Amino acid sequence: MSQEVWAFSESDSVANETLTAANEIANAISGKAVMLLVQADSPGKASVGKKLVVKGSAQSPDSPEFVSEAISRAAKQANPAVILVGGTKNGREVAARISVRLMRGCLSDVSKLSSDGKTLAGERGEYAGKVLTRVVADLPCVATVKAGSYPPASGKGTETSEVQVGDVQAKTKTLSVNRKPAATVDLKAAKIIVSAGRGVKKKEDLAIIESLARTLGGTLGCSRPLSSDLGWLPEDYHIGLTGLNVKPDLYIAVGISGQLQHVAGIKDSKVVAAINIDKEAPIFQAADYGVVGDLYQVVPALEKALTSKRK
Amino acid sequence: MKVAICVKQAIDETELKVGPNGTPLIAGAATKVSTFDKNAVEEALRLKSSGGGEAVIFTVGPADARKAMKEALAMGAERGVHIIADSERLDPMLVAQLLAKAIQKSGPYDVVLCSEGSSDTYCGQVPPMLAECLGQPYAGYARKIELAGASSKVERALEDRVEVVECPLPFVASVVSEINEPRYPTLIQIMQASKKPVEELSPQALGVSTEKSLVRVETMNAQSMNRKRVLIEGTPEEGASKLIEALAKEGVIPG
Amino acid sequence: MPIYSSEHRRLMQILHPSNHEEYSELLSSLGGFMEKKILPLSPKFDTEELSIANSRKELLGQGLCQIPFPSEYGGLGLPFSVYATAIELLGYADASTALSIEIHNAVSEGIFQFGNETQKKKYLPKLTSGQMLASFSLTEPTSGSDARTIGTTAKRTGDGYVINGSKMFITNAGDAETYLVFARTERGPSCFIVDAPNHGMTFGEPLKKMGMRGSRTCEVLFSDCQVPESNLVGEEGKGLDYAKGILHGARIVVAALNVGIAQTALEKAVAYSRQRKAFGQPISEFQLTREKFADMKTGISAGRLLYLYASRVKEMGHDCSSEASQAKVFATEMSLKVCDAAIQVYGGYGYTTEDIHRHWRDARLLTIGEGTSEVLRLLIARKELAGSA
Repeated sequence: MSQEVWAFSESDSVANETLTAANEIANAISGKAVMLLVQADSPGKASVGKKLVVKGSAQSPDSPEFVSEAISRAAKQANPAVILVGGTKNGREVAARISVRLMRGCLSDVSKLSSDGKTLAGERGEYAGKVLTRVVADLPCVATVKAGSYPPASGKGTETSEVQVGDVQAKTKTLSVNRKPAATVDLKAAKIIVSAGRGVKKKEDLAIIESLARTLGGTLGCSRPLSSDLGWLPEDYHIGLTGLNVKPDLYIAVGISGQLQHVAGIKDSKVVAAINIDKEAPIFQAADYGVVGDLYQVVPALEKALTSKRK
Repeated sequence: MKVAICVKQAIDETELKVGPNGTPLIAGAATKVSTFDKNAVEEALRLKSSGGGEAVIFTVGPADARKAMKEALAMGAERGVHIIADSERLDPMLVAQLLAKAIQKSGPYDVVLCSEGSSDTYCGQVPPMLAECLGQPYAGYARKIELAGASSKVERALEDRVEVVECPLPFVASVVSEINEPRYPTLIQIMQASKKPVEELSPQALGVSTEKSLVRVETMNAQSMNRKRVLIEGTPEEGASKLIEALAKEGVIPG
Repeated sequence: MPIYSSEHRRLMQILHPSNHEEYSELLSSLGGFMEKKILPLSPKFDTEELSIANSRKELLGQGLCQIPFPSEYGGLGLPFSVYATAIELLGYADASTALSIEIHNAVSEGIFQFGNETQKKKYLPKLTSGQMLASFSLTEPTSGSDARTIGTTAKRTGDGYVINGSKMFITNAGDAETYLVFARTERGPSCFIVDAPNHGMTFGEPLKKMGMRGSRTCEVLFSDCQVPESNLVGEEGKGLDYAKGILHGARIVVAALNVGIAQTALEKAVAYSRQRKAFGQPISEFQLTREKFADMKTGISAGRLLYLYASRVKEMGHDCSSEASQAKVFATEMSLKVCDAAIQVYGGYGYTTEDIHRHWRDARLLTIGEGTSEVLRLLIARKELAGSA
C-alpha cells in the first residue's frame, strides 16, 4: 500500500474541494495527495498539486461505469492508501463500485476526515440530520467526501503523470445529457427556499428575490403580509403558522422581520439565513446566519458572487 | 417480466429518541419501511403491469422485521425473500453481497430496483454495490424507466442535468422519489398481504459471512437544535461573500 | 406525528388483545392515507374552494366503509371499534368528509340490519366500496326530534309506492345514488330505498351552513316519486324502529368524529402556545393556559374511552343505546368546549383565522344532528330509571 491519497470528482469545483480533503489526509499519514483526471485531454481542469491522468478507451468515458473501472485498474497498480471521491450522485456510484472491485471499505458522504495511518474516519449526518455519526474503515479504503464541506484547494500545479488502463467494455451507453432549466418546485418539497417579506417595497422587486432563488436552484416563498394583505403572491407561497410548514435544507428570509407566526413555519429547516436592515429584528434569533444590511444591496451582491463562483 | 425490489426496514427517524448523554437510542427504536422504497416497489409494479410476471421483494434484517416486507407485499408484489441478519447496522457491502446471492438463487430477474438511499442512514451504496456483485449494468437515480425488449432507456436525475442512458436487460437501477407516486394499498390488500409467501434465508445458506464489516461506527451523537445566531456585518459584498462561505461549509448550497 | 397515535394503539390493545396488531396496522395505513391526501385539503373544503367528492371516493376505495360488514357483502369482517376509530381519524383530518362518510355508511348499516337478502346483495357491495354514495333521509322541515310526525307519505300503487313530501337537512343529497327514505304508509312510518335519478325526487340548493361546509346538505323534494315494491325495507310501519336501530351505531361514530375534531384543535392550540410569546415567555408557560390543556386533554381521553366502550358493547351484541347516547352527548359537548378553548388560546388570531375557528363551527352541528343532546339525555335517563325500577 503506497501512501498516496487520491482525489477525484467529475465536477471541477467538487474535485478541488476533494483535493483539500486529500491534502489533509496525506499530511496525516505522511503521504502525498494526487488529483485524478480521468480521460482528460489536458490537465488544465485542475492545476493544483500532483496529477495523475487515467486514460482508457470506452464508448461513454464520462459514465461512472467507465470512471469506476478506469480508477480501479489504476488503483490496482498503484495501490493508494485512500481514494477520495467528491460526493456527487455519480461520485457515490463511482466510490461504491471501486470499493467492491478492490474489496475496500467505503465511507459515504463524510466530512471532518481524519486518519491515524491505519484507519480513515469521517463524520456524517444520519436520521434526517438528527444524528452525527463517526464512521471508520481500515486503510486502504475509499470515501465520498460531502460536497461543500471543504474549501477549494489553491496553489500551483506540480508534476503530472499518466497511466493507461486499456479498453473498458461498458455495459451502459449514454444517449444524451440535458442541462436542467430553472424549474418551479413545490414549496413543501423544496430543498432551498428564498423568502420575501415586508422589507420588499414593491411587487416588481420580487423579481430580484426570485432570481436569487433560481440561482441557488431553489424556489420563492413569502411571509404572510405579501400573500394575505398585499396579494403579491398566491396563498400557496405563504410560509408560517397559518400558512405552509416547510423543511428545506436552506431557508433564506429576505426582509422578513421574523415574527413567531412566520418562524413557526420554518423551524424544521436545516439551515436558516436572514437578511434584514434592522440588527434587532427577531429573525436573527431564529437564524443560523444573519446578514445585517439593505436587501436591495445584499441580494444583488449574493447573486453576483454566486454566479461568478460558478464560472 | 420478473422484477426484484430491495426494501429496508429503516429506523423511523421521526420517532428516534435521544438518551440522557446525547446518544441516539437506536436499539429498539420504532421502524418503518424506508421512505423511498415504496417508489421502487411502485415502479416495479408499473413495469410488470404491462405483461404479467412477478414482483419479488427482498429484504435483509432481523427475523421479526417484517413491516417493510408486508407493506411492499400489500402494494401488490407476489412474494418475498427475507434474508435473516441480526445486526442492527450492516455494512452496505455485506448487504449487497447477501442480496446478490439471494437474487441469483431465486432469479433470473429482468430488473432489480432499489431506492436512491435509505431514509435512516442514506448511504446510497447498496444499489451500485449490488450491481457490481451481480455483474450487471447499473443506472442510478432513475426518474424514468422505459423498457424496450432486451434493452431499456433510463433517465437519470443528476444535480444539474438529466442523463439518458441505454441499459441492456437485466440491469439494476436505483430510483428517485420523483419517479412516481406510490399507491396506497387498500385495507383488503393489507389483510391479504400476510398470506403471501415469504422465504427465509440465512447468510450461511447464501455462503456469506457477516462477521467482518469493512465500515464500522465509532460514535453517534444527537445534533443540537439551537440556531447558531451568527451575525454578519460589513459591506453588502462582504456580507454576501461571508454568507456564501458559511452556507457552503454547511453543505446547503451547491458547490 | 401520525394521526393513528401510540395512544390509539394502546387502546386497541386493551380492547382486542388477540388481534390488535392487525387492526393497528390497518388503521395506521388508513391514517397515513388521510394525513397525506385529506388533511392538507381540509381548509379548502371549508372555504368551499374544493369539493370533497374525489377525496371521499378515494378514501372509500381504500375500504373504510367495508370495515364493519361481513365479507359476503363486500366487507372486511372487522370489529365496529375499528370502524369507529377510523372515523375519529377522519374527523381529525377533515370533519366534513367524516360526516358525509358516516352518514353514507349509516345507510349501509340500515340495509344490512333490516334489508332482505336481495337488497343486501344489490346495494352493500357497491355502497361499502364507494362505487355508490348513500344518503339518510329522515328529517323534515317540521319534523326532527319528533320523528313520529313525519309527513312524507308513501301510497301503495299497483307494483310499488308513490312518495310525496319533503326532507330537510339531508347530507349527501344531490350527490348520492341511493337514498334511504322514511315515509308514512297506511301502517305507519316505513323505510324505502330510492335510487337516483328518479323523476319524482329533486333537490334544493345546498344549504349555507355555519360549518361542515365540505359536506353537501339540502332539501329533498318528493313529487309522485315512484318506487318499486322491492325497495321497501323490512315491514311497513317499522320504519322508526329501523331508524333507531341505525342511529345507535351512528351515534357512536359521531362521538368518535367529534373526538377527532377536538384532537385537531388541541394539537393546534398546543403548537401555537409554544410559539406565541407574552410577558417575556411562551404562553405555554402560563398556568391558566396549562389548565385549559389539561381539561382539553382529559375531555378528549374521556370521549375516546366512551365511544370505544360503546363500540365494544355493540360488538358483544348487547343493546348499546345508552352507551352510544352517553358517548355522543359527552363527546359532542366536550368537543365544543375544546374548540372554544383553542380559539381562546389563539387570541385574536383564533377569532380571525378561518383555519382555526372552523373546528368549532364544524363541531357545533353535532349536539343537534343525529339525535339532539336533549333527546339523548332523556334516553339515558329513561334507561337508568328502568334499570333501577
